Amino acid sequence: MSDRKMRLSSSPHAFSPVDTPRIMLSVVIALMPATAYGVYLYGLPALGVVVTSIAAAVLSEFLFRKIIKASTTVGDFSAVVSGLLLALILPPSTPLWMVALGAIFAIVVAKEFFGGLGANPFNPALIGRAFLLMSFPAAITSWTMPKGLSLAADAVSAATPLNLLKQGNALTDVAKYFGANDTGAFYRQLFMGFRSGSIGESSILLVLLGGLFLLAIGVIQWVVPLSVLASTFVFSWILGMDPVLGLLTGGIVFGAFFMATDYATRPMTPYGQAIFGIGIGLITVLIRKYGGYPEGVTYAILIMNTLTPFLNKLRMKKYGFVPPPKPAKPSKEATK
Amino acid sequence: MSIRTFRGGVHPPERKDRSQGTPIERVTSVPQVVIPVNQHFGAPIQPLVKVGEYVKAGQKVADAEGRMTVPVHASVAGVVKKIEPRMQSNNTEGLCIVIEPKDPPEGESAQDYMLPLDPFACSKEEALARIRAAGIVGMGGAGFPAHVKLAPTKPISYVIANAAECEPYLTIDERALLEIPEKVVDGVVIVMKTVNAPEGVIAIEENKKHAIPYVQKAIDENPQVKAGMKIRIQELRTKYPQGGEKMLITAITGRQVPSGGLPMDVGCVVSNVGTLCAIAEAFREGKPLIERGFTVTGGACKTPKNLVAPVGTLVSDLAKAGIVEIDDQSLGKVIFGGPMMGVALPSYEIPVQKNTSGVLLMSEQEAVQYEEDTCIRCGRCIRACPTSIFPALLAIAIESENYAEAEKIGLLDCIECGTCSFVCPAHRHLVQRFRVGKQVLRALKQKEAQNVR
Repeated sequence: MSDRKMRLSSSPHAFSPVDTPRIMLSVVIALMPATAYGVYLYGLPALGVVVTSIAAAVLSEFLFRKIIKASTTVGDFSAVVSGLLLALILPPSTPLWMVALGAIFAIVVAKEFFGGLGANPFNPALIGRAFLLMSFPAAITSWTMPKGLSLAADAVSAATPLNLLKQGNALTDVAKYFGANDTGAFYRQLFMGFRSGSIGESSILLVLLGGLFLLAIGVIQWVVPLSVLASTFVFSWILGMDPVLGLLTGGIVFGAFFMATDYATRPMTPYGQAIFGIGIGLITVLIRKYGGYPEGVTYAILIMNTLTPFLNKLRMKKYGFVPPPKPAKPSKEATK
Repeated sequence: MSIRTFRGGVHPPERKDRSQGTPIERVTSVPQVVIPVNQHFGAPIQPLVKVGEYVKAGQKVADAEGRMTVPVHASVAGVVKKIEPRMQSNNTEGLCIVIEPKDPPEGESAQDYMLPLDPFACSKEEALARIRAAGIVGMGGAGFPAHVKLAPTKPISYVIANAAECEPYLTIDERALLEIPEKVVDGVVIVMKTVNAPEGVIAIEENKKHAIPYVQKAIDENPQVKAGMKIRIQELRTKYPQGGEKMLITAITGRQVPSGGLPMDVGCVVSNVGTLCAIAEAFREGKPLIERGFTVTGGACKTPKNLVAPVGTLVSDLAKAGIVEIDDQSLGKVIFGGPMMGVALPSYEIPVQKNTSGVLLMSEQEAVQYEEDTCIRCGRCIRACPTSIFPALLAIAIESENYAEAEKIGLLDCIECGTCSFVCPAHRHLVQRFRVGKQVLRALKQKEAQNVR
């Protein structure tokens, strides 16, 4: 036997090949179809937003951790995911400096201030969007019509379907605005993504494709997306809104698969996740119906994020759970 | 026959193909044996022999009074050379008896076995005494005294033969099922008789399906089965930690061993294949537990194989004799046991003991170690944990030294299978924290109990 030292460590001595960078990269891959379609619909400005957002996110994480003399973590690709997600929920016409500011805020304030990856209480990309929405409401709510669909309005003053509905327009009028003859055709058009909106959320089909890919490879689980979508459907219906339209417009599908499933900010226990998802659907519908904004997914998820630590207490029973013995009731003789 | 399993778990790469095709090879001559005195879980025992004394194979060399004790026997005939502390397979030094083989004096036998005992003609007390006298412990890894386990104070409905062998790399139980199934079945019927159980179940994972016909044949040909004893085979989905006692019981019966309880609380007794063979030998041949089968494999082992060798055989002696070829250049880690729960050791100059199911010689490549990253809260550990104790949350509780919360989550229910650490994408030291945390919590509770007094 040679004198070479052997490695010593506590078991296990084997590890799964799935590590953090691989998970983050699979999310990026899942977002690629929706991103590509967004760039196709809105052209170079959209590409500019995506590139700026990712670059600002990665760079700000790198520099911030350098300044506070912490280890570099850009290798885990989580900043890439945050930057990409932020870009995909912004209007394609957002000025690039705003995009950069939002990405920096998302990474530095929403993530690194709380201790970095896994320790942030709020979804960084959503914080970035909420920050921009509050600081520059006009820019973040001006939408562009997709290429080849400039029927009713010029590019700058285009409205999203939810905008129009919020203003009290009838569904058939909204459908007409987007060039659809009847509501059935309009639904199909929405599903394929031919409408004004944020860069990545337009095409329900491609978002679903990415989400199902993540489900299939086990990066996300079905509890959160399903409960978000189901509760949006049910609560829309209860409040007298078109439930199918509720799912097809706005960012609820994108939010359900890519925002609400964010590891750090969703509960880890199955029961907690179900309540989390139902809450997101409910708050989204309430904001759409009664709130000041036409769309409420961002705030719905951020509000439910605050409950995550409490929802984590809703654990399943452990293996072999024995209920603690109840305190013995005082016998009648003792009370006499 | 439906395939059953438990909730959670993982399926690590099996890597059993290296050694599963090689028949069990018997090692008869070794230059020395180093027999650890304490090889069981329980109270310590003392050597009964002195340096220079001649001992026969099967002669008792260490024992003590007490229920939680198991005697140790000389595994070869020879002269006691030394009695001194040596490195053992649990990575601590312990008293060992070193015996050098020597032929017995003219006209004397080299063996000192007990007389065979008919397990179906003796009382329960006699049977348990025989099992203790044979020095039998749980050979799956825990080393729990068999005579204690087989004396349950509650009625038993199932005797489960643990042939799951869920640890990657290890193939010795599989070989036993293929080569000596009749001995395994014999062990099952003896245990069934001892604990008075109506049903026996041999639990085999799907990846050892090819062994089922052999075992079925052995069951059909067993005289006790012909006389009416009921034994069946249960196929299980290949998944780690299926061989864990609690998981195996749940997979087969659907019952859950209550927190802090024992298998007998749900009417089960679980025994490993190796233990069952040892029990069969103790009755039929009067042979104490002085040799055992184990798998020698791993990337740095050029000759992966299944061996039966005397207890106390040094792996380095096997290498010197050319029985096992080790690539010293690429060797990175020596593990006694499987890769999921085995113990890493500083060298392979370590004796094989009663609970050694495998010796893993991992190459530098296989033994890669990762830096611990931050928890991304993905929840993989929570889904994989077979005991549903939420490792990620438990780790947070332990790191913040909130032991009351840790106990509530279920720290003491952790079976230390290491599934959480295996699946963690950030390579968090989860099970490692729980091992330490358990000891801290037990110490705290002890202190509390003293304060109350």
